[in-house]
Amino acid sequence: MKRKLFGLFTVLLVFCLSASVFAFDPETFVYVAGAGGPQTLDPAACYDTASGEVLHQVYDNLFEYVDGQLDAIGPMLATEVPTVANGLMSEDGRTLRVPIREGVKFHSGATLTPEDVQYSFIRAMLADPAGGPMWMFFEPLLGVQTMRDVIAMAGGSGDFADISEVDADVLRKAYDLVAATIEVDGQDIVFNLVDPYPPFINILTTGGSWSSVVEKDWMIANGAWDGSPDTWAKWYDQALEDMTLYDKANGTGPFKLDTWDKSGAQILFSRFDDYWKGPAKIKNAVIKNIPELATRQLMLRAGDADAIYVGQEDLPQVRTLPDVVVVDGLPQVTNTVLFYSFTIPVEGNEDLVGSGKLDGNGIPSDFFADTNVRKAFNYSFDYDAFLQEVALGAGVTPVGPIPQSLPYVNTEQEYYTHDLAKAAEYFKQAFDGELWEKGFEVGIVYNTGNNTRKTALEILEYNVESINPKFKVNVVGLEWATVLDKLRSASLPVFVMGWLMDFPDTHNFAVPFMHSTGTFAGFCGQGLIDLAKVEFDELVEAGIKATDPAEREEIYFELQKRYVDLAIGMPFMEATTHRVMRDWVQGFVYSPAYSANYDFYTVYKEQK
Amino acid sequence: MLTYIARRLLFLPVVLIGVTLLVFVAMSLLSPYQLVSTYIKSPEELKNQSLDDLVRKYGLDQPAHVRYMNWMKNLFRGDLGYSVSASMPVKEAIARRFPATIELALFAVIPVVFGGIWLGTISAKNYNKPLDHLSRTFAIIGWSLPDFVFGLILLMVFYGVLGWFPPGRLSMWADTVVLTGDFVRYTGMNTVDSLLNGRPDIFWDAVRHLIAPVITLAYLWWAYLLRITRSSMLEVMNKDYVRTARAKGLTEKVVANRHIRRNAMIPVATVSGSMVLGLLGGVVIVETVFDYKGIGLLTATGAQQLDYTLILGTTLFYGMLLVLINLVVDLLYAVIDPRVRLE
Repeated sequence: MKRKLFGLFTVLLVFCLSASVFAFDPETFVYVAGAGGPQTLDPAACYDTASGEVLHQVYDNLFEYVDGQLDAIGPMLATEVPTVANGLMSEDGRTLRVPIREGVKFHSGATLTPEDVQYSFIRAMLADPAGGPMWMFFEPLLGVQTMRDVIAMAGGSGDFADISEVDADVLRKAYDLVAATIEVDGQDIVFNLVDPYPPFINILTTGGSWSSVVEKDWMIANGAWDGSPDTWAKWYDQALEDMTLYDKANGTGPFKLDTWDKSGAQILFSRFDDYWKGPAKIKNAVIKNIPELATRQLMLRAGDADAIYVGQEDLPQVRTLPDVVVVDGLPQVTNTVLFYSFTIPVEGNEDLVGSGKLDGNGIPSDFFADTNVRKAFNYSFDYDAFLQEVALGAGVTPVGPIPQSLPYVNTEQEYYTHDLAKAAEYFKQAFDGELWEKGFEVGIVYNTGNNTRKTALEILEYNVESINPKFKVNVVGLEWATVLDKLRSASLPVFVMGWLMDFPDTHNFAVPFMHSTGTFAGFCGQGLIDLAKVEFDELVEAGIKATDPAEREEIYFELQKRYVDLAIGMPFMEATTHRVMRDWVQGFVYSPAYSANYDFYTVYKEQK
Repeated sequence: MLTYIARRLLFLPVVLIGVTLLVFVAMSLLSPYQLVSTYIKSPEELKNQSLDDLVRKYGLDQPAHVRYMNWMKNLFRGDLGYSVSASMPVKEAIARRFPATIELALFAVIPVVFGGIWLGTISAKNYNKPLDHLSRTFAIIGWSLPDFVFGLILLMVFYGVLGWFPPGRLSMWADTVVLTGDFVRYTGMNTVDSLLNGRPDIFWDAVRHLIAPVITLAYLWWAYLLRITRSSMLEVMNKDYVRTARAKGLTEKVVANRHIRRNAMIPVATVSGSMVLGLLGGVVIVETVFDYKGIGLLTATGAQQLDYTLILGTTLFYGMLLVLINLVVDLLYAVIDPRVRLE
């Protein structure tokens, strides 16, 4: 018996030792991300970074950022970038002619045509899944936000429960409105914009997964919209999983999608050898999702992963690992902002607003509608301590709601600093001195799990409470689902959110942060919506229509000044990002525009 | 016996309706805008969308009883709905993830159950002797260790340092063969499928990936079975019929195996049943540390993301599993103890 056990143990040991470990495979690149894989692979619906990362490898756009640089746009599936100078953009900026590259192959083997490009965008607009990115086409091309708005333009009601309720004639007219925006003329595509829209080319550039080009015939063969003007409603706003491209892909990009192994949380790619720029250096690529950092870290050390996701707060853990490279300080176009709600519901919100009165035991509904209160809070925050101690220096302090890496930002704009004397001054002026006398108690909220935001709020709490013993700030952690629910009813007196750009233009920040219909206004109560209509809307709308850079600069400088003067919110961080990879990874190209952490076309492996 | 089984099985739908109703009542306490967090998973995903449009699109504004009835109607058609967190239909998610869990359970159940019983027997037979103390101390250390700590230690030593037992279910090369080649998935269990496909290399690779999670599970759970077996055996050892057996002149081995251990097995069978259920239900922490994508991780992720179709589907599945395993345990009582009659 003992002899048998010894024999078994020996076999096991030999088998273990003979197993291939610490392998180096120069042809396969493995990136291990954290929790959360893609939501969809359909460009019409893809609006999250994990999905965008996949699409980046599989599809091409009309244009690309040369070497990832945001200020250098070059042609990709187009052969030229339209400008007034080259005659491809009309003088009024409303018509763009884009010559399409010839001889480009899809993964299916078919050749790209201008009809494919036209179909790609029209199909995506007609599909317009709720919560998707297609507003970026509707706004420049039709001056609206959704297909519902187009149906309203066509004479129907945009407020339907199901599209089958909409009259067939209205649907046809809506189709005609959409179809008229993108036309084929020989080998060219012509975009007809409703108004000039300077960043429209950015929307069609790499990083914009929504403007990926698909193959019309393949799509139809796989059950997508058949191209008929009368049938499109069948594919309108489908559930993500019912969309044709939900889990399959056929692009012109450098990698083919082999499989999305959902149960194994991994995506396998293989090189497309007929790629029009020439084949990539690596043959296979994998994106895996592993939530546990320790497991990811061990995989990186073992060489089973070439690159892994590591959060900013965990970066010190990997900096000292042998053979591992941390590339940090990579600029992002993003902003993290502390928002104030101008009209806070009191009933049912007692956990955050207390008594709902200015009596020292709560706050009234219009607490943050008083500019003095907002300014006092803004002066209470210790920006430098947060940046250095919490964010570990990975970023810069903003000078307004628009990141400084974008054009038309006044970097000389006077901004808030940590100044408790000034904060006290404004608190004394608030509510005609009543606030200072009676004090207040307020709950300020972060979504649980986000410790960086929690610490930011604790810094604010500490400083505000140090100004007057009657001031009480409670940092409250809520589950994301509850945060979402309370955002919808604008019930959070103070909350922190970030905004990562869709396309690198000032407009993409001006709307969500300042316009009365922007993403954040609705979460900050009617008080802010009313104020935004007076102070911001007209300027925001003028900013996007202006084609003269000097005029745009003047408009956005003014918007920034008003936002800061009125202390609408407290932007406190423009974060940089980083990558963690083995030292054998070469050819890494970074662009703030890419959803992809790694561009598989440029990376390759070379053992040191 | 058959009547007993039939009666227990007839009770199954009542249990299932009960548990799903309970889950639905709990979920109905959430507002539509809390439920929409399934589709907008983090603040970063909150872009230009209208929350109201999403609520309307996915019918989250319908009253809970309407959603429950719709769910029941679909259930009768064999449709458990779509899981956003798993990115696939719930039925498919369970069908894909459960084989992984069964595979882990199959490999773990022998070391866990038999190892625990063996240790308990040694302890009882050497009551208050050094071997008893040693085995109890060894097992109790395992019981006291948080599972993620022990799992991580194993992973660091056997993967990080030695490179023997990697995380996941298969190595990348094997995954590529299984996912993109001609490999046929018969059962979803890599060890079984690899043998059926004539791929011993993939079989060994799958086994390598199972060893560390199995060791973790075994070590963590031995103490529980050891204590039950030990105390149960000590109790039986003092019974009159054991003394009689010894007085008859039976060897100690026969007394221990036939008269003591068998009679001490009833509480052990109960505990083993719940352990098997625990294994089949998925062991979230072990699955997380070893990146072993089983049904436990699936359910935990679904619950975190308020993916109520997945929660309902897995609840239904667990309910079924619970009833069936308890039935098997009850049948085992009759096998172990002839005095038990199932009528």
